[in-house]
Amino acid sequence: MTGPTSLAEARALLADFPVVDGHNDLPWALRNQVRYDLDARDIAVHQNAHLHTDIPRLREGGVGAQYWSVYVRSDLPDAVPATLEQIDCVRQLLARYPADLAPALTAADMEKARQDGRIASLMGAEGGHSIANSLGTLRGLYDLGVRYMTLTHNDNNDWADSATDEPNVGGLSAFGREVVREMNRLGMLVDLSHVAATTMRAALDATEAPVVFSHSSSRAVCDHPRNIPDDVLERLPGNGGVAMVTFVPKFVLQAAVDWTAAADENMRAHGLHHLETTPEAMKVHRAFEERNPRPVATVSTVADHLDHMREVAGIDHLGIGGDYDGTAFTPDGLSDVSGYPNLIAELLDRGWSRTDLAKLTWQNSVRVLGAAEDVARELQATRGPSNATIEQLDG
Amino acid sequence: MADLQDELHPPTEVGGLDGLPDPFEAAEAYSPVSDPDSAPLERAHAILAAHPVADGYSGLPWALRHLPWYDLELGESAVDTDVPRMREGHVGALFWSLHLPEGLAGDRAVGATLEQLDLVKTVVQAHPEGLRLTCTAGQTTDARNCGRVAVLLGPAGAAALGDSLGILRSLHALGLRILTLSGATWASEAGLTRFGEEVVREMNRLGVLADLSGASADTIHRAFAVSKSPVLFTRSAARALRPHPANLPDGLLTELGAAKGLCMVPLTAEQTGPSVRDVADHLDHVREIAGPECVGLSGTYDAGTAHPQDLGDASCYPHLIAELLHRGWSEADIALLTWGNVQRVLRSADFTARAAQQRREPSTAKIADLDG
Repeated sequence: MTGPTSLAEARALLADFPVVDGHNDLPWALRNQVRYDLDARDIAVHQNAHLHTDIPRLREGGVGAQYWSVYVRSDLPDAVPATLEQIDCVRQLLARYPADLAPALTAADMEKARQDGRIASLMGAEGGHSIANSLGTLRGLYDLGVRYMTLTHNDNNDWADSATDEPNVGGLSAFGREVVREMNRLGMLVDLSHVAATTMRAALDATEAPVVFSHSSSRAVCDHPRNIPDDVLERLPGNGGVAMVTFVPKFVLQAAVDWTAAADENMRAHGLHHLETTPEAMKVHRAFEERNPRPVATVSTVADHLDHMREVAGIDHLGIGGDYDGTAFTPDGLSDVSGYPNLIAELLDRGWSRTDLAKLTWQNSVRVLGAAEDVARELQATRGPSNATIEQLDG
Repeated sequence: MADLQDELHPPTEVGGLDGLPDPFEAAEAYSPVSDPDSAPLERAHAILAAHPVADGYSGLPWALRHLPWYDLELGESAVDTDVPRMREGHVGALFWSLHLPEGLAGDRAVGATLEQLDLVKTVVQAHPEGLRLTCTAGQTTDARNCGRVAVLLGPAGAAALGDSLGILRSLHALGLRILTLSGATWASEAGLTRFGEEVVREMNRLGVLADLSGASADTIHRAFAVSKSPVLFTRSAARALRPHPANLPDGLLTELGAAKGLCMVPLTAEQTGPSVRDVADHLDHVREIAGPECVGLSGTYDAGTAHPQDLGDASCYPHLIAELLHRGWSEADIALLTWGNVQRVLRSADFTARAAQQRREPSTAKIADLDG
C-alpha cells in the first residue's frame, strides 16, 4: 500500500499537472439511466449511488481534462442519430456546468482550461459505426467538436476489424485507410482502442499524424485481445502517439479476464446482452458473483501495466483512460474518478519521477492533440475534403 | 440603413414579446435609390443594388451532389445558379435547401442531412470570394456588405430530426436555420402532435425558423398558434390564382399577414405560371392580402422544376422587378420584398431565441412520452 506521504505528493503533483483522461462514458450512463434528464443526475453534487463520475469526484481525482465518449451501440441501426444525441448531451452538460467544465477543441484550449482551473471537456466517438460509411458525416462530427474516433467498438464495421470480432478485412480496407487519411486532414485523432492488432498496425502504416489508444492496456501483461501488443507499443515513439492505460479489471487482470468470460456466458444463458447494465442485468450479474467470487484488480495491477508499457513505448507515449461509467467493475483504489491520486502515489513509490508523472498525466496527451492539429494544418494546405465512398474503394 | 438602425434596439424586441409595441412597426422613412424617370429595368438594377434578393429556396445542394466537378466561381452551366449569375441577378442571400428525395426520408435521413450540411460547407469554403455561410440576420447583412452572397442552411425536412430534440440541437449547432414541418409522424396530415408542438417551441428557443410550404392545413394552423417567432412559407404562391397544393388560400394569407409571417413566392411555372407577368400577378395578390411586409421571393432554382419564361436562372430577377415597377410598386415595397422582409424574419427569430433561452431550459421531451 502507498503511504500518506506519497498520496499527498501525488495530490500536489496533480494540482500542477492534472489528469487528461481519455475515455469516460458518462453520456452513455445518462442516456441509459435517465434518458438525458440531467436534473435527475445533477453532477454538481455527489452521485456515488448511480455514477462513477461527478464534478466533486473529478475535482478530488485531480482531473484536468476529460474526453467524454459519445459512444453508441454498434449492434443497432441508428448509430448516426444516436451519436448526435450523445453529442447534444455533452453540450448540455457544458452549458449547465460552465464554472467547472470548459469546452475544449484544441491543445491550447486544454492549457487554457488548466490555467482557469476548469476541466477541459473534449469529445471522442467510440466506433466507426458512428459515421455510417460516410466521410461527410465524419466531418459533421468533427464540426460538432468530436476530436477522436475509435475506429471500431466491439464489432467489426465494413472497413475495420475489431479486437473482439472475427477477422474480416484483415485490418483496414481501402476505405478504412481513407477514413484515417481524412481524420488526419481534419485533425481528429485516430483512436486504436478496441481494434484488432491487425487494424492497429494498418492504421499506424496509414496515418500521417500521431494516434491514441484512448483506453487500452498491455497485452504482454494481460493477454486480452483489447490490449496492445508490444510490437505495436514499440512503434509509438516513431509515430509520436500515446497509449492511455485503462483500469477495466477484465482487461488488466488475467484472473478477471477468465472470470468475465464465464460471467458473460452466464449473462447470455439468461438471454441478456453481456454489456447490459440495467438493474435486471446487474441482478443476474450479482447472483453469479455470489457463486463465483470476483477476482479483484488493484492499483498495483494497473501500475504493472504502466511499468511494462513504459519500458516498451517510453515515458513520452503513456497516458490514462479510465473508462469510468463504461464498465460495471473497477479496481480497488480506483473505484471511481476520485481515485487517480492513488495510482500516482503507487507510481511515486515505484520510483517514477515528478517529470515522468507530469508526462503521464498531462503533457503527453495535450502534445498529441496539438500534433494532430499541426498535421491537419499542413494537410489542409495540400488537399481538400475527400468524398470517396466505400463503394468506390472497397467495391 | 434600416438594418443598422434596427440593430441598435435589440432589447426592445425582447420586451415586445410581453405586449409592448413592435419596434419594426415604426420603420424608418424609405429613401429612394433610383431615378423615377429612367427605364424600369435600369431602376430595377439600381434598387436591387441597394436591396438585393434574399432568395428563399435553392435546390443547389442536391444538384451539386451529383456533379463530379463544378466551378461556381467562374460559372457553371450544369446548374441554374452560380456566382456570376447571382451577381448579375443581385442575389444577396440564398436559403440552401437540405430537402432529401423520397427514398432518403426514412432511417437514413439524419445521416443524409449531415452529408448535405457538409456538402454546403465544402462548397462555401471552396468559393470564399463569392459565398459566405451565415447563421443570423447580422451575419447576413455583414456578408452582403462584404460583397458575398450569404448562404443560410435550410430548409431541411422534418425527417432530418430523427424524432429527437437532441438531434435538432445538434443540427442547429451545425448551422441549420430553417426546418420544413412536414414528412414526420409529428407533423403530418393530422397536424402537429404534442411532440410536434414541442419541436416548434424548441425551434423558437434555438432560432430555427419554421417553413410551412407543403405542410398540411392543420399543421399550419397549429404552427401559427404555437410559434413565438414568424413562420415562413419558402415556396408558396396564391391559390386564388393557381390551384397548387402548396399555394395559400386567401384566408391563410390573411392570417399570415396578421402573424407577420412571410410568404415567399416561387418562380416556377407549376406554382405561379409560365410568364413573368404570372409571377407578378401572384406577388400583387399576396401583397394585397397579406401585406407588403409579408411577401418574399423564392427562386426555387436547381430544384428540378420548370421556370417561367425570362426567369430561367438566378440572373433574371431584374426582369421581375422591372415588371413590378411597371405595375406601380413603390421602391419601399420592392425593398421589403427582396431583402427587408427576410431580414426582419431572421432578426425576429434571433430575438425570440434570445428571449426564450432566458426562460426555457433545453427540452428533454421524448416523442414516446408525448405521442405515446
